[in-house]
Amino acid sequence: MPELDDGVQLSVDNLHMSFGGVAALRGVSIQVRQGEIFSIIGPNGAGKTVLLNCISGLYRPQRGKILFEGKDITHLRPYQRARLGLSRSFQKIELFRGMTVLDNIRLGRHIHMRAGLLDGGIYLGGAAREEIQNRDFIEREIVDLLEIAHIRNKVVGMLPYGLQKRVELARALALQPKILLLDEPMAGLNLEEVEDMARFILDANEDKKWLVTGVLVEHDMGVVMDISHHVAVLNFGEKIAEGAPEEIQRDERVHEAYLGEKEELYVTRR
Amino acid sequence: MSVMRLPSGVYHETYVQDHAWWQTRFVWVRMLILFLLLFVGIPGLGNLYIVSVANIVGYTILSALGVQLLIGFAGQVTLGHAAFIAVGAYTSAIAMLQFNIPYPVSLILAALFAGVWSVLFGLPSARVKGFYLIMTTMAAQFITVDFVIAQYVSRIGGRGHYFSLPPGTISVGPWVIDSELSTYYLMLILVIGSILFMGNLLRTRIGRAWIAIRDNDIAAEVLGVNIVRYKLLAYFVAGVLAGLAGAFWITSLYFVSPEHFQWSWSLWLVGVILIGGVGSIYGVIYGAMFMTLVPEALKALLFLLTQSPELVALFPFIPQLLDKFLFVKEATFGLAIVLFLLYEPKGLAYRWWQIKNYIHLWPFSY
Ligand SMILES: Nc1ncnc2c1ncn2[C@@H]1O[C@H](COP(=O)(O)OP(=O)(O)OP(=O)(O)O)[C@@H](O)[C@H]1O
Ligand SMILES: [Mg+2]
Repeated sequence: MPELDDGVQLSVDNLHMSFGGVAALRGVSIQVRQGEIFSIIGPNGAGKTVLLNCISGLYRPQRGKILFEGKDITHLRPYQRARLGLSRSFQKIELFRGMTVLDNIRLGRHIHMRAGLLDGGIYLGGAAREEIQNRDFIEREIVDLLEIAHIRNKVVGMLPYGLQKRVELARALALQPKILLLDEPMAGLNLEEVEDMARFILDANEDKKWLVTGVLVEHDMGVVMDISHHVAVLNFGEKIAEGAPEEIQRDERVHEAYLGEKEELYVTRR
Repeated sequence: MSVMRLPSGVYHETYVQDHAWWQTRFVWVRMLILFLLLFVGIPGLGNLYIVSVANIVGYTILSALGVQLLIGFAGQVTLGHAAFIAVGAYTSAIAMLQFNIPYPVSLILAALFAGVWSVLFGLPSARVKGFYLIMTTMAAQFITVDFVIAQYVSRIGGRGHYFSLPPGTISVGPWVIDSELSTYYLMLILVIGSILFMGNLLRTRIGRAWIAIRDNDIAAEVLGVNIVRYKLLAYFVAGVLAGLAGAFWITSLYFVSPEHFQWSWSLWLVGVILIGGVGSIYGVIYGAMFMTLVPEALKALLFLLTQSPELVALFPFIPQLLDKFLFVKEATFGLAIVLFLLYEPKGLAYRWWQIKNYIHLWPFSY
């Protein structure tokens, strides 16, 4: 495993978020270091997705602060956070189902493109060149990495679930983010697909071209324990444990939170 | 650059080629024939009736492009598009009549002013969706045409209710636009230019952002798309196209009046894209042709029927139908739109695409 940089890249400080009477987050704090894979686990309804939504800006926490590279981003809109280098995938796939794989990934390049009304409408010079350059980038860096060359012109809605998950990762990577937030990328995948997905995430994290910090919400304990540098455990909106994967596996409180699901901490869950 | 493999078995040397609109020589030849037909064939027939119908088709295409952009591509609504066409018509007329500004410049002013006016009424789209947005766009119609233009703008220059446009008012440099034929050529230039412009926009980040907002606005925003900005941009471009349409249409009018831009025209344009196909530029073209040519054919048919005294004796209401043709036309289209929504919800463009595929794959279709 690579040496971890000490610097904290993303810092979530004492987040509170409730919906009506339901408190989904009750004072959650996490610190994600640059270059690591930080996993968030916890039983269903623990607040993992709500936490990711707060980080990417879809939800506004009632209390607490979110710092990204030292900058307070608590009040920024999601599109502004994307431009700073935050990218994500969704638990329930949120692709543009009617578009091709390529067009979905092209949307991931939006923040890196510049075309305006006039040059875009005339499609000469800059606008056309930019399309070619980004197509080239997508083919060289994304399509190859994620092994989706055979489906690049297919309409996303027609693809099997496992490939859709992969396209969503492709689109998220196309932003060339600094931090990648992944909400259950393995859910619903078969064994082979899980292995592929884990390899892609590791590639993005370790490959010198990418070096993306990963924040991973995942139920698949096998994968979490294998690829994470750091794990935080949520239960009922509170962080009940945090540490290296081995520490989490031994932690009593974690076992209690997963009461009745105990054995699943050790075996891969489908 | 490396050779990249396409599933269809077609190989492209470069992405430039893969991104091109007309990728094969066959398509190039077909487009050449189409252009020859439009620029030489139709005018060459020497039939002014055909040219005047073509002008109406062109005007409808120009008018409906913005509606398609808003409804079909950006997923917004508009039930008041005629308002922005009116803004374009009046801007151009006033610029020429009051300020002696040349027509080409007035076209640009009309486009810009209608664009800005449209953004004004698009502002609520930042906050509201659905029903309230529909109400806002209807308000655009009535505030702009029935209030601002009818009550105030029409008074400018003391010309009375109508802005009359004496022949020779409109010219592009030495080229005076005072006939069906000259209007036709101007129409071709504007329609082709607008279609190319919009088609190009749709294959850049701007068009993709619009479609993304239409399909999944949460995903779009997480990818870095500033939703409000792109919605307003859509209203702006739709307004610009409407402004061009309005400034074009005054070339075939003897005077400009609020009557030319009534709410029924706004609804008609929505009908054009519903019948032609939502979310397709071809849909605008097919819809405009269908909505113009079918009533013309109907009118011709009714006229033929009135020529036969026996038939008129048998069905005495036929001449009345011709008298009240506007009513017949609108009733027919109310019906056509309902039928299309029920049986052909994807519009003519989609059916045509299916037929083309069928022919293309024959004899292995299905
Ligand atoms: N938009 C919302 N409105 C109301 N309640 C919500 C909303 N989003 C989440 N919640 C509630 O917040 C709590 C945490 O939900 P969350 O989706 O974060 O769970 P999770 O940890 O992601 O669970 P899972 O593993 O099932 O995905 C749940 O009780 C949920 O019902
Ligand atoms: Mg969840």
